[in-house]
Amino acid sequence: MSLSRRAFLRLGGAAAIAAPFLSLGRRADAAAAGPARRLIVFYFPDGVVGPSQDGEPSLWDPTGSETSFSLPVQLAPLERHKARCVFFRGLSMGPTDQGSHPGGAKKLLTAVDGGNGASIDQRLAASIGAGAPFRHLYLGAQANQNNASGDKHISYVAPGITTAPEDDPVAAFARLFGSAGGGGGAAGGDPRTPRRLTVIDNAGQELDQLRRELDTRDQRRLDLHLEALREVEARIMATAGGGPATCEHPVVDTGGITAATLYAPERFPQILRAQTDLMVQAMACGLTKVGVLQASHHTSELIMSRFAGTPMYDPGFDMRSHQASHYGPHHDPARREYRDYLAQRVWWVEQFAYLLDQLAARPEDGGTMLDHSLVLLATEVCDGNTHRHDDMPFVLAGGAGTIRPGRLLDVGGRRHADLLLALAHGMGDPMGSFGDASSGPLPGLLA
Amino acid sequence: MSLARWLACASLVWLIACSDDGPSGDGFDFAGSAGAARYAELCQVCHGEAGEGGLGPAVVDLAMSEAELAEVIDVTMPKNDPGRCTGACATEIAAFMKRGLTSSALRCDAVPPSARQLRLLTRREYRATVQDLFGAGAPAMTCGRATDCAYRDACTAGRCEPSACDRHTFVYDPQGRALRSVHVAGSWNGWPGTVAAGGWALTYDAATQLWTGSFTLPEGDDAYKLVLDERDWVADPRATASIPDGFGGMNSLLRLSCSGGGADDPVAGFPAEARPAGFPFDTAAAAQAVTATHVDAYLATAERLADHAAAAAPAWACDWSGDRAGCARGYVGDIARRAFRRPLTDVERARYDALADADVATAIHAILISPNFLYRSELGVAQGDGRYRLTGWEVATALSYTLWGTTPDAALLSAAERGDLDGAAGIEREARRLLADPRARAQLGTFALQWLGGEAVLTADKRPDLFPGFDDATRAALARETRDFVSHVVFDGGGGFAELLTADYTVVDATAARFYGLAAPTGGPGVVPYGDGRRAGVFGHASVLASTAHSDQTSPIRRGLWVRRNLLCQELPPPPPFAGGVPDVDPNATTRDRFAQHTANPACRSCHQYIDGIGFGFEQLDPVGRWRDTEQGHPIDATGELTDVEHLGSESVATYRTIPELARLVAGSRAAPACFVRQYYRFARGVQDSLAGRCARRALEQRFADSGGDVRQLMLDTILSRDFVVRR
Repeated sequence: MSLSRRAFLRLGGAAAIAAPFLSLGRRADAAAAGPARRLIVFYFPDGVVGPSQDGEPSLWDPTGSETSFSLPVQLAPLERHKARCVFFRGLSMGPTDQGSHPGGAKKLLTAVDGGNGASIDQRLAASIGAGAPFRHLYLGAQANQNNASGDKHISYVAPGITTAPEDDPVAAFARLFGSAGGGGGAAGGDPRTPRRLTVIDNAGQELDQLRRELDTRDQRRLDLHLEALREVEARIMATAGGGPATCEHPVVDTGGITAATLYAPERFPQILRAQTDLMVQAMACGLTKVGVLQASHHTSELIMSRFAGTPMYDPGFDMRSHQASHYGPHHDPARREYRDYLAQRVWWVEQFAYLLDQLAARPEDGGTMLDHSLVLLATEVCDGNTHRHDDMPFVLAGGAGTIRPGRLLDVGGRRHADLLLALAHGMGDPMGSFGDASSGPLPGLLA
Repeated sequence: MSLARWLACASLVWLIACSDDGPSGDGFDFAGSAGAARYAELCQVCHGEAGEGGLGPAVVDLAMSEAELAEVIDVTMPKNDPGRCTGACATEIAAFMKRGLTSSALRCDAVPPSARQLRLLTRREYRATVQDLFGAGAPAMTCGRATDCAYRDACTAGRCEPSACDRHTFVYDPQGRALRSVHVAGSWNGWPGTVAAGGWALTYDAATQLWTGSFTLPEGDDAYKLVLDERDWVADPRATASIPDGFGGMNSLLRLSCSGGGADDPVAGFPAEARPAGFPFDTAAAAQAVTATHVDAYLATAERLADHAAAAAPAWACDWSGDRAGCARGYVGDIARRAFRRPLTDVERARYDALADADVATAIHAILISPNFLYRSELGVAQGDGRYRLTGWEVATALSYTLWGTTPDAALLSAAERGDLDGAAGIEREARRLLADPRARAQLGTFALQWLGGEAVLTADKRPDLFPGFDDATRAALARETRDFVSHVVFDGGGGFAELLTADYTVVDATAARFYGLAAPTGGPGVVPYGDGRRAGVFGHASVLASTAHSDQTSPIRRGLWVRRNLLCQELPPPPPFAGGVPDVDPNATTRDRFAQHTANPACRSCHQYIDGIGFGFEQLDPVGRWRDTEQGHPIDATGELTDVEHLGSESVATYRTIPELARLVAGSRAAPACFVRQYYRFARGVQDSLAGRCARRALEQRFADSGGDVRQLMLDTILSRDFVVRR
């Protein structure tokens, strides 16, 4: 017993990549055409350096042609994944109620003004994701800080109803891989299984009874409850007799993350990394097919100048994400807000690139996990100072089996609803329309 | 139609509508109108909740046709971003405005019932409920040895006692095996293989035949194993959580927290409640939905509670050695009745009897994940006229959760059983009993902290180098100050609503007193006069002031918006797309100087005239709420102006020189007490503002004004209001 057992909760991501990895069966046809196996949305707050108020061009738009283009400074961290990404020009969210950040956050994954629709991740969780032990995995990094909720959370289980991400990687780890909750990773028969199934069955019967006494609106809420109950029931049944193959080596660095430090700004980079690792682990183990990683929330008070070892670092001055986003009318390097905002945005993209690194480092069916994934980078406005929604900074990464990557796609003002619909099709859900402005899946995106 | 004519005509009609308490309206279905929802989202901020106007003109009884109105909206609205609402959006809103925003539809002589609903227990309600069901007052949990108790309990003098938040008693039952040693190896001590290498040795007690050891541990999550004879590494069979150890086995997980949220917190892992924008409370019923994350957490907590309660069962008043099955059914049935807050139906009774016959723990586990426990019902019984009437049990439940934040006590359930709560007199009698109980004070404190947004004092980041003493204990004491102060004013002081805003004293403990530099009260929290004219009521509370400031600087904007939104219920449109942000920190300028552009620039001024003039008045209270005479060496100008306190757009201005003066201006308005009623109604009823509920609220506002702002009366009236028992 020479190796520290605690290592498996505390060692960093590098060890995880190096560890031998159990893949979920092998097929010879690497990166075969067909639906992607998983969708991950990576959200960060407060937009990017887009076109300035005074008309300077965006620092987000790649320059060049569809297949031959170069990345601007904010997208530089994606250089190594350029061939695996699709960049967009002219992708619009349309007019948004209430403008600015809340309007954008409500519409981001619902494609409906005011968040009056279930979000694409939840729709896909209910269709494509339904066979997985966890239909949906919603992990946050300080996304619930100071009771942030409501329109600050981007995943809508039903029209107007958001749910809260799990901000604590230790709790999330225990839920996914431990025995505390559903026991997604628990191998072998758990003696408590029969009892859990009995009480779930009882609750289901009572939900059915209660549902009959209700009007449609509350019925819908109880339907969600019932679906959640069925999900947990199926998961417990699947793991009861030793269960499906699960991974051998979940590794996440949570050292020093406690209830007391969970919302400390200096801990944020480590927490986001842990949640990213956890998302990848859960996906690799087949525990879920649909995940959302939410870093902070819109109009973020996250003090990014406390991130040690980054260009934003300055212990003597607090610069928050949202504060920096109001950098003024020009792209003016003489202004601190502007410089920090730019550095922050590059940092966010680096975190997204790290997620892609992790997926690309894991072999799967002759290719990598990334080949079988759709990974969407999203934020709720374009330029953080102008708050426009007409040229949104989405990036889609994933396998050539599903999308045609390595391109800069000029979509000429098409709505992002069409992008979200294309994601659904890419995941194998043939839904006919999505959101309030969908005119069909974004052309030229899918393979 | 010219805007001027439109405005004149609409305002005139609004005055008529306002003053008219005539016969019943035409029964417009506000709750079912699609246009009403869009109006609330897009138009209300300027034109008012009921079309009464504000930053925009009043729009009641518009003369133009529905088609004309739809075109106006399509082309010109919303004014700050025309084109945002076209087509169906515009026609739906126009239809709503022409039919719903009419003086007859808006009449309030007959209060329409509010909607029936299911209310998911909030985390604080759940915590209090299981405490009442299984904690104090529940059968005493006796133990012969430690394994009779739950994981985090120790067996002390024959009773299971919970361990301190930073201490844990490890217990291993060798089940007759002779062992030479048992030690704990984990992340705390570096996973030593032997006691000599630092393993924490347990000791064997021949009387109980258990190995035990009690240790003080750091807060946080830690993994461990028990090592038998310095050779066999085993997971702790008693642990409630475990994670893979990387070797194909499991490590036990121990989570210790002294600030809540530990594994022993029943709501650990429960997702936070969604709070819709503009709704500062955790009680918004329609915004909550149960996800698989909830179910996992409910299941785990219920499992733990059920094991505990089942182990406690033999101590229950029943002869378990005689009719064991009867005892089990009686015990389970009693828990089910209290958990469901009503008698069981025959079908339920049969089901829980069958579960109890098989296994008491399973039966209790089932009760605790039942929707009949997790949701409190405000569904009522159909009256045959499309309306529903709450049962006495539902009334008992609503009374208890509204006034106490927890499940009904035995007396309240008895009152329901006797039928006392089927009539107004019985409801009022019980409501008065509940209001006289200390739990009503605690619940009002919870309301106050959410209403004022003061909860964030516990978590809001403050630069440690600038505010070194602002530690967790201080933050907790400041949150407590707001709770204690509000309940003191309402329950002890006999003061009305105005006193909450204007009192020249506060209620602090020694820690909060030290923070403010006030004389410390003797003993626990006590009334301490401010004595310096610098603060007034909740305007002076650091819980509010710290929550509305940044980590390193004040925010006149947030503090101004706090008065507008939390105290006056006045919403402002979102900033225009090109709004600038916080001006650069400048060592040569005060915060007020830096924000001067807001009021200099006409585009900013249209909204910031309502915000900054209030926020500047707080400038002598620093980012954590401490007094300051200067800012970066510069004198501070803390005079201010309060524009249009009653109604945005009314173009009145009052100036003030101190916080107590500002507080008196706000407290003396009609808008502030009306807003307080609205906030309490939101909190108590768990419904977002709607035109359907507007009439009930207006009746409460009138009574509140007539009572001189008697908060206890408001709490009672909210329960006794006609729309409480009768639902649609």
